[in-house]
Amino acid sequence: MADFGVGVPDEIARLSLGQGSAPQDTLPPNIRSEGVVAVDITAKFSDAVKTLEPGAIVKDGFFTLFDSVSALEIMDPKMDSGCSTTDAEVEHLYDVSRPLLPEEVLGIIDQLLCHEMSWHLGYPLSQTLFTSFYIEALSMPDPRSIQEATFIRNGGHDPDEQPMLQVLRAYCLSMLKSCGYVNERIKSEHYYEEEDFVTNTYNRTLMANLPTSAIRDVLIEAMAALKSQRGSVPDNLVDALVLRLELRHIFLDAVECPKHMKEPDLAKKPWREGLAILPALNKSHSLASPVDEAFSAKLQRKLASTMPPRPIVQLEFDVAFGHLKGLFEDGLELIDVLHYRDSQCLLTFVSTFQAKKPQPIVYVRTLLQTFLFDAMEVLGSMSIRQLLDDDFAILTMPAHQYLDRLNDEVEAVQDPRYAMAQQMELFRTRAAQPFLDILRTTCQNRCRVRRTLCHLLRDWESLQVDAEEIDQILQVKVKEQPTMHWPSMSSGGVESYSLPLSSWTYLYKLRQMEQIIQLGFELEVYQSDELAGMYWYLNYISKSRLHHTERIKSFVIKRVEETHGQPGNSDPTIAAQLQRSLMYTRLSLLDAAVTWELSDSLSCLYTVLNRLKLIKAPPRPYGTDELRYEIRMRPFAPVGLPVLPTFEEFTAGTLQPDTGIDELFEYAERAVEGAKRGFEALSKMTAEESFSVGSHQRWASATKNGLKSCIATKIAISAVQKAMEKSKDLDNLKIKVEIPTPQKAYHESWIVPKILPLA
Amino acid sequence: MAVSSNKQLPANLEYIQYEHRLEAQYLPAIRALISKDLSEPYSIYVYRYFLCQWSHLCFMALDPKDSSLIGVIVCKLEVHSSHSPPTRRGYIAMLAVASHFRGRGVATALVKKAIDAMANRNADEIVLETEETNTAAMKLYEGLGFIRSKKLHRYYLNGNSAYRLILLLKAVDPDQTSLYDEHQVT
Repeated sequence: MADFGVGVPDEIARLSLGQGSAPQDTLPPNIRSEGVVAVDITAKFSDAVKTLEPGAIVKDGFFTLFDSVSALEIMDPKMDSGCSTTDAEVEHLYDVSRPLLPEEVLGIIDQLLCHEMSWHLGYPLSQTLFTSFYIEALSMPDPRSIQEATFIRNGGHDPDEQPMLQVLRAYCLSMLKSCGYVNERIKSEHYYEEEDFVTNTYNRTLMANLPTSAIRDVLIEAMAALKSQRGSVPDNLVDALVLRLELRHIFLDAVECPKHMKEPDLAKKPWREGLAILPALNKSHSLASPVDEAFSAKLQRKLASTMPPRPIVQLEFDVAFGHLKGLFEDGLELIDVLHYRDSQCLLTFVSTFQAKKPQPIVYVRTLLQTFLFDAMEVLGSMSIRQLLDDDFAILTMPAHQYLDRLNDEVEAVQDPRYAMAQQMELFRTRAAQPFLDILRTTCQNRCRVRRTLCHLLRDWESLQVDAEEIDQILQVKVKEQPTMHWPSMSSGGVESYSLPLSSWTYLYKLRQMEQIIQLGFELEVYQSDELAGMYWYLNYISKSRLHHTERIKSFVIKRVEETHGQPGNSDPTIAAQLQRSLMYTRLSLLDAAVTWELSDSLSCLYTVLNRLKLIKAPPRPYGTDELRYEIRMRPFAPVGLPVLPTFEEFTAGTLQPDTGIDELFEYAERAVEGAKRGFEALSKMTAEESFSVGSHQRWASATKNGLKSCIATKIAISAVQKAMEKSKDLDNLKIKVEIPTPQKAYHESWIVPKILPLA
Repeated sequence: MAVSSNKQLPANLEYIQYEHRLEAQYLPAIRALISKDLSEPYSIYVYRYFLCQWSHLCFMALDPKDSSLIGVIVCKLEVHSSHSPPTRRGYIAMLAVASHFRGRGVATALVKKAIDAMANRNADEIVLETEETNTAAMKLYEGLGFIRSKKLHRYYLNGNSAYRLILLLKAVDPDQTSLYDEHQVT
């Protein structure tokens, strides 16, 4: 008979609610003290209740929907885990001391692996790992030493000495330990509880009190015990079990990889080792024989939780294995972020890594956050100032006097360098958070990235006000000479200042606006008849970015010319910085241009499809298009520049009522041709030129997908044109439009319609 | 969930507003109808939370033959102040139609009744969430004028994501805050 070591103290430990490992000892109020006069209100209560109709709700003003959802119905077997089974009955459901066949141990281990991955995907421990009788036996009461961490406590004989149970115990202990690491990692970074992950451990410690080294020893002993079974246990089963214990050993190294932040190769080692054994592990799953009775949803009644019991999450082994493999692949790829090149390469790395499909799981995403931000240092060794200055230098301030570290040494208040040091420090303090937030936001799930960017946009909007002010102050202090422009239409010249800080800020703001729109396509937020309008708006914003980048470029070129004009200046770092900014400007111009042109082309194409009624707007008897426009543009409403188009401008841009279909197609073709050339030029760029050192493959494949989207757009345009030539009746073109889902499109933010013949 | 607007509404269906006195007669049927599409049941308190406070925003479609329940919609309407300015926000909490009556516009008729009732009570906007896989529901709401405002990652217990749908009934005037302060006091 299994003895779970149930005693009074254990019961108390189980009763406490909440996350912490320490039991809470809240004592009931003492009603026998002198200050308390107890009154029996039973009769009064019964009388009062009689005045209520059955089902009347009695609540105070603070009772919320959330409270009503979390309320349980006592004695409803679906909600009240205590009404059908008692604790004792639960314990008799399974005997953890029963002898197990090797294939059964393999089966249980693989079932645990499925549960572990379900937990990684966001399901609570209560519906996954904690439905295992073995895990419950090891976890409760919390073992204080490795010797105590056995399936059977205080037993006379020691069934844990059976080699097969020894293997299972070692597997479970090391798995729980690594889950503990995972849980702590996720809790220490930014994530969304329940949405991304459930960190509740229902008062179990996940072996937090046992040293990792002791658990490693148990693993090694179990491997030795296993190997001694060769001969009596078939080799393939021994091999399969050894692989699984090795995986646990590797996993413990992998979760500790942040301690090797300064030695990326060492940090990569466990991820690489894991990937090496995974194929064999997958193959040997066929030997496993699952033991379903070793798991029960009824174990949830032992967990400190207010939630009603919920069914066990069943994840197929193939699916779970796919996620496990993804975890190791992403973990390995992630370490490359530690090879810092410059701020822009870092941003490219993070954004392309998080845009992977499927997106890396939450543990990997939090690990990336640890690498990025741990201990107020970026990538384990850089200050935030270094990162920001690097970025200022690339975008708008190559080899700029404002960024000269020697400015900090100037003590003379009237020296302009003193003001530079002061003002730049002020700007860095203001910009640090919004800038780091871009990185942090990118690490969230895709839905949250879009939502958070909408909030972040306000911070950048106010940063721009600060930036403009500081630009002004410094421009006066350093007596900046304006550049003169002679716009062709105006009579006089226009003075123009470089405004390096507000230019930097504005460029980021525009990128975020584009990203919010593009994520809307990726997350299928827009209906098909909205696509023309949303590509029109993307076109509007990317056009602003293109013009802004051209402005930045003119000042970078001015700096290059000025430097060349100074004969004594041959500092190679200055030349390199100027070169780098020119390279960045080229990339930025091309990137803005392809976005501008492809969105232009798609907007025109969708306008035609709307006009030909190949895409039909739903009837929408409620609300108005103007109100819907208000909702759509809500994220952008707080932005002063670029000005939000009025509803009339938006409607005119989307319908283009004065432009004929032939003309719209002409625009669309010209624009997509330009976008295609742009993508071709981009795809020829090296990792250095495209600021994707460390993530060039991911960047290049996204670029290639952009190019494919251009080709698909051209095909769609010509398909509609051909149908129009064939049939003179515009209401009967014998074609239909299919809007692909983002997963089926070449690129998730370029939704190119498919034109199909009507069957 | 019923979607089709081209099929004829069964002219003989009876649409009535819920009242507390109908609890014994209809609450079990309402729960059964709604629970059918849920992986986990709502407790009785969730139903009473809505039905006792906003019975005027709950409508039932009944079979005139035997007055049995065919469809139901459950809503609430409150001042929502997490944004500035606060708005009177309607919320469609539950909608269900018996499977053999689907495709006949019953759900659409129920949603229209609810929207009208909320609009009459001065709602500024109406919101709801729907499972990303529930294309029929999205088609229904989008057909009426709702649009998706955001996607909510793993919103449901089964791990599925949701879309927030919103129907704006009035333009939000940032200078109108005082009107709602007044409302909250009364």
